[in-house]
Amino acid sequence: MALDQSVSRRRLLQLMGGAAAVGTLAACGGGSGSSSSGGTLRVIGVGDQEAGLRKVLDAYKSSHSGFDFNLSFAPADQVQTALRTQLGGGNAPDVHVVYPGNGSAMSMAQLAKAGLLADLSDQSWTQKIPAGFKGAFQSDGKTYIYSPGSSMLGAIYNKKAFATAGVEPPTTWSELLSVCEKLKAKGIVPIALGAQTPWITQLIPYALVPGTVYAKTPDFDDKMLAGQASFADSGWVDAMNKYLELQKKGFFNDNPNGTTYEQATSMVATGKAAMAVQVSAVLSAFRAASQTPDDLSMFPFPATDVAADNWIPAGVVVGIAVSAKSKKSDQAKSFLDYCGQQENLNTWAEAVSCVPLYGDAKVDPALNLFLPALKANKAVPFMDQRWPNAEVQPTHFAVVQELLGGKTTVDAALKKMDEAYRKKA
Amino acid sequence: MRVRIAPPWWFAVPAILVYAVVVLYPSIAGAGSAFTDWSGVGNAKTFVGIDNFKQLVHDSQALGALRNTLLLTVAIVVVQNGIGLLLALGVHTSIKSRMALRLVFFAPVVVSPVMVSFLWKFVYNPAPDAGLNAALGAVGLGGLRQDWLGNPSLALWSVAFTVIWQCAGYSMVIFLAGLEGVPAELHESAMVDGAGTVARFRHITWPLLAPAVTINVMLSTVGGLTLFTQIIAMTNGGPGYATDTLSTVLYKQAFVFGKFGYSTAVALVLAIFVAAVSFVQIGYLRSRETAA
Repeated sequence: MALDQSVSRRRLLQLMGGAAAVGTLAACGGGSGSSSSGGTLRVIGVGDQEAGLRKVLDAYKSSHSGFDFNLSFAPADQVQTALRTQLGGGNAPDVHVVYPGNGSAMSMAQLAKAGLLADLSDQSWTQKIPAGFKGAFQSDGKTYIYSPGSSMLGAIYNKKAFATAGVEPPTTWSELLSVCEKLKAKGIVPIALGAQTPWITQLIPYALVPGTVYAKTPDFDDKMLAGQASFADSGWVDAMNKYLELQKKGFFNDNPNGTTYEQATSMVATGKAAMAVQVSAVLSAFRAASQTPDDLSMFPFPATDVAADNWIPAGVVVGIAVSAKSKKSDQAKSFLDYCGQQENLNTWAEAVSCVPLYGDAKVDPALNLFLPALKANKAVPFMDQRWPNAEVQPTHFAVVQELLGGKTTVDAALKKMDEAYRKKA
Repeated sequence: MRVRIAPPWWFAVPAILVYAVVVLYPSIAGAGSAFTDWSGVGNAKTFVGIDNFKQLVHDSQALGALRNTLLLTVAIVVVQNGIGLLLALGVHTSIKSRMALRLVFFAPVVVSPVMVSFLWKFVYNPAPDAGLNAALGAVGLGGLRQDWLGNPSLALWSVAFTVIWQCAGYSMVIFLAGLEGVPAELHESAMVDGAGTVARFRHITWPLLAPAVTINVMLSTVGGLTLFTQIIAMTNGGPGYATDTLSTVLYKQAFVFGKFGYSTAVALVLAIFVAAVSFVQIGYLRSRETAA
């Protein structure tokens, strides 16, 4: 009995010693963090960026001895909860995902305003940000986010399904309708729509409003901010009506409100559906879900019958930033500087099928049909990037689901979005 | 004669301390945010008085969520406890398989609500050849196929059914405990007096089950009013706003819209509302117990 006790006491002391040692090590780690070499960088990304972010982190690690990272991912739907909680609680990761521009609670402008992001303005790559993209990267003239470039939004389509119905990518709205008709006649779902996943609901309006709104009123965002325009009294009405027209003609899968993003992805990947309106950043996910990845390509989703009016949505893809509270900010910043070098930018951009922010690197051939519009300056950033608060986008998600569910009218839906827009941040 | 010795009060000190640090302090400190416009991150915070509460009264989304919450709560309290009582009466017999049946009915309770939600998302798959729709088709009821979670008029009830499916076993166990406490002699003498099954249930079982009813109604009311997990996991409050509850609204205000102050105000109102309903209920049900 006595022996047992002494053993257990000794064991206890060992454990305590161990704990103390761990504590010391941890303290060392924390202490050395302020110097720029060594230590593990904590990085949290979002699923969409995994392919690119991981590649560049690995490359950086192999060329910088002593550097290591701990990378984890949050799904798009949970980024706001998971990361904002950590940011609010003061235990933010050193490098984390941030959305460009304004318009969501995890966007560059909102977080920079709260003093949570480190200023990157002294890095040389920030000088190469094209003028049109500055709003996505900068707040009050300072750069707070790194992003590898812009994602195109259009229809990801299955070439085999198109061939079965004997159709080609359409270039006008009327052509699109007839393509859908022919696909439907062949028993193929023309457009897969997984509107149960909230962020999917916005993609078709985002694809249509560059043509129905911005081609005629390029300064629509400025007018909205100045209170001289509204969703309910603009080309948004046309876009929403076209959205519903696609549904009424039976061009979506049954019950889009009960279908998820994953289900829609697999429908297109397997050829059960012919296309899905999506961002090019998820092209790799569609290819991964397909047995014949080469069958998947993209074309701009036409919004009008005037070919010159078919502008395209091209948004700066989700990026990363350095936490202002990071104890390893020197190290984190030098990683972002590395990301800004042309070849690393290209690596990341290629992995997520986006057009690199600067330079003229090879672009995924699936995006070829988008390049003319991009060159002709007929590209519009994703609409939410200039919305003034974090409430407009979720309102947009909800009203689209209500529209698809037949619970509201286009007019009432857009008025609700106007109301959300007018709320102060 | 046994003498009960009360343990010294200071035995509770560690527990009280932990409770104070982990629950009380954050709750009270957090409640202060309800009177500010804090975004949830950063230090910018302005005192705005009762503005958040004024806004709540005019917030159509919150009022819609209140309506959903009350509908859900009534459905859960009535149906879950009804089914729980029937299950309890069913397995409170001498049939051989009663233990196995109890296990089967109780099993969903021990599964995490998130798991249950994802499981039911498969069941509710809107495709005609999947899940519940496939089953309906197989038994010749194809006309009843639905978009269970995507139809705004149906989604709330689909979620309610999942919650009831999961929690009915919990009510059953509490009712079973109550039934075990009903003396067999009462039933025997009533039978001798010629009372039928229905009469015995009405005059003996039901009155003696009063404490179990109190507990079940209380627990399911609080559960219904604060329902969150299954909704977020199954519909995220959608389609549109069709399944938003007060809990999902306060969550969205804090983490999606970045309005932590307003969210705390909603939370505070919800907490007071739940406490008030519980007090009224417990007062009424307890008086019923003594009357019985």
